[in-house]
Amino acid sequence: MKNGPLFFLGLLAAVAISWAGIVLGSHAQLGELPPYFDQAEGQIYPRRPGGIASRGQLVYADLGCAACHTQQVRRPDFGSDKARGWGDRQSVARDYIHQWRPQLGASRVGPDLANVGARLAKTETGAAGLHQLLYQGSSTHPSYSFLYEEEALVGERSAAALNLSGANAPVPGYQIVPTERAQTLVAYLLSLKTTYDFPESVPVAAPTKTEETKK
Amino acid sequence: MINSPTHAGSAEVTPIDPTARGPLLLLVGMALGWLVISGTFALIASIQLHTPQFLADCSWFTFGRTDAMRESTFIYGWAGNAGLAISLWILGRLGGNPLRATNWVTVGTLFWNLGLTAGLVGIATGDMTSFSMLQLPAYVQPLMLFAYATIAISGVLAWGGRRSDGTFAAQWYAVAALFVFPWLFSAAQAVLLWMPVRGTVQAIAAGWFMQGLWTLWLAPLALAGSYYIVPKTSGRVLPSYDFASLGFWTLLFVGAWTGGRHLVGGPVPAWVPTVGVVACSLMIFHYSIVFLNLRVVTASVGNAAQFIRLGLIAYLLVGLLDMITSFRFVAEQMQFTFLASALQQLGLYGAISMIFFGCIYFMMPRIAGVPWASVAMMSAHRMAVIIGILLLVGGLAAAGMMQAGDLLNPSANLGDILARIRLPLLVVTFAHIILIGANLLLFVNFLKTAASRADGDVRVRNLFRQPSAIEASAT
Repeated sequence: MKNGPLFFLGLLAAVAISWAGIVLGSHAQLGELPPYFDQAEGQIYPRRPGGIASRGQLVYADLGCAACHTQQVRRPDFGSDKARGWGDRQSVARDYIHQWRPQLGASRVGPDLANVGARLAKTETGAAGLHQLLYQGSSTHPSYSFLYEEEALVGERSAAALNLSGANAPVPGYQIVPTERAQTLVAYLLSLKTTYDFPESVPVAAPTKTEETKK
Repeated sequence: MINSPTHAGSAEVTPIDPTARGPLLLLVGMALGWLVISGTFALIASIQLHTPQFLADCSWFTFGRTDAMRESTFIYGWAGNAGLAISLWILGRLGGNPLRATNWVTVGTLFWNLGLTAGLVGIATGDMTSFSMLQLPAYVQPLMLFAYATIAISGVLAWGGRRSDGTFAAQWYAVAALFVFPWLFSAAQAVLLWMPVRGTVQAIAAGWFMQGLWTLWLAPLALAGSYYIVPKTSGRVLPSYDFASLGFWTLLFVGAWTGGRHLVGGPVPAWVPTVGVVACSLMIFHYSIVFLNLRVVTASVGNAAQFIRLGLIAYLLVGLLDMITSFRFVAEQMQFTFLASALQQLGLYGAISMIFFGCIYFMMPRIAGVPWASVAMMSAHRMAVIIGILLLVGGLAAAGMMQAGDLLNPSANLGDILARIRLPLLVVTFAHIILIGANLLLFVNFLKTAASRADGDVRVRNLFRQPSAIEASAT
């Protein structure tokens, strides 16, 4: 290692080769991934999120929600993601192509949110329930009341006002309304759906496994 | 030609050290200050894990933001400042000339820490990038890069102007860390912030950066310190030293490929995690050689050596566990649990920080020209930090083990899982309290030592004639 320039080139090569291999390699494979055009429905998937939902992702990122929530459903035979009802199929790269900064996350203190929009649509409370959780928290979820405002009730009650009861109910004559940030955040979460089956996302692993065991 | 490490005792006292005293003390002081601050963020974040309502209504301290601040202050504040101080000092000594461009080091250090402070305010007010270990807002990152380059100039000059033709392993690792960080940092910024790649390629690039930060920056900094200090404290020539270069190049060329293992089962091409798993297994060569070379640390005496010994054990353990946990059937269980945090803390605290502590204990009396102010504080710090790290890693690992089993069981509700792991999470909080106390001791001891220098104590100069007394060994 007497040769300084050669040593320097070695260092540069170590970084450059791994960067080219991992980053450029996967970029070459996925960088141009197009949305899928469904001929029968005459639509492209994944659907491009609306402007409000896109702004909601900024809120999701800046609050650091990804510290406790993942947004990646693993395939049915890898972990219990499907059994938990987090998604019927695994997440694939195409799900994220419209996202400004995919929030895959690395910790599951809370549930996976890749398909939370579809899950919420099935519940009775839907968006209102989500607002309530964000405002008052629960034994497992912090309360982000700074995303909400208490305002005096003038005239009619706002349609967006939260239906709260018990200790969290506002003083009579006041109402709790979501700020713009809360509205966009919830719109973003409602937009998260992995219900469309892309050709590459149809779960194949589970059936083949059972066939093998039959033999 | 590769020179054999010099015999212990020589180069204990050099005229080289005093020239860089100011900048190096500044770097170490900043590092220790950030370590205490990082511990405070870690404490807040750990409380929030078992008591979610703690500080929840304060938007500056949502769990995500607190954790990002904890991580940023730890990596860029503590490890960055301390690692730079150690590598500059080693390059200066092994280069055989007094460090040059020390004013640049001072200026760079000030800007580096100003940038970090601005970045923290940015994270608290909602500008974090949401990429792990690269959380500092996009607008301070160019400043950090510039400040880093300003500090590193001195090390590069020391390397370029070295007196001897041959080089030592400590020098390779130090130079590698100095050069590689700006490349990693700027390449990650380019593809994640300035011209972001699309979709999940971002996650792959972020994984590459995160792994690179560990294998190409933090690990080389720690190894530079170990390769320099172990022969001195053990009084032995490093065994199997001829293999050291193989260990070095394995780390550099293979290490950066291991990042993809965290994405196993994720929405990325299958080759990305597979390459990571293979690379993780190949890294066994690197860890074996580090073990072969540095096993003489068992013969070392002194406070510094005790830290480095434990740090190296943790380092080898991390290598082994990284390999085991990268396999798919293990990853299926431990992915997304606190086991991953346990392994990360074992690496960052158990390995990197312990080695850095050892290096600081060894380096400080030599650059300050005075022995450590308090031997009692030194031993107290050592005991407390060992207990703190064991509780921290143990608590996280216990929480992770319970969580791993429960997450695979679909009937276990997430709220119940969190309730069940409350006890280990409380242990983690307790560990952070101990660690803050321990690191405060070190910080105060450092300040007292630096201040006693200013008193111009004459007695101390005599110590230079008895090198073994310098370290005020607490054994």
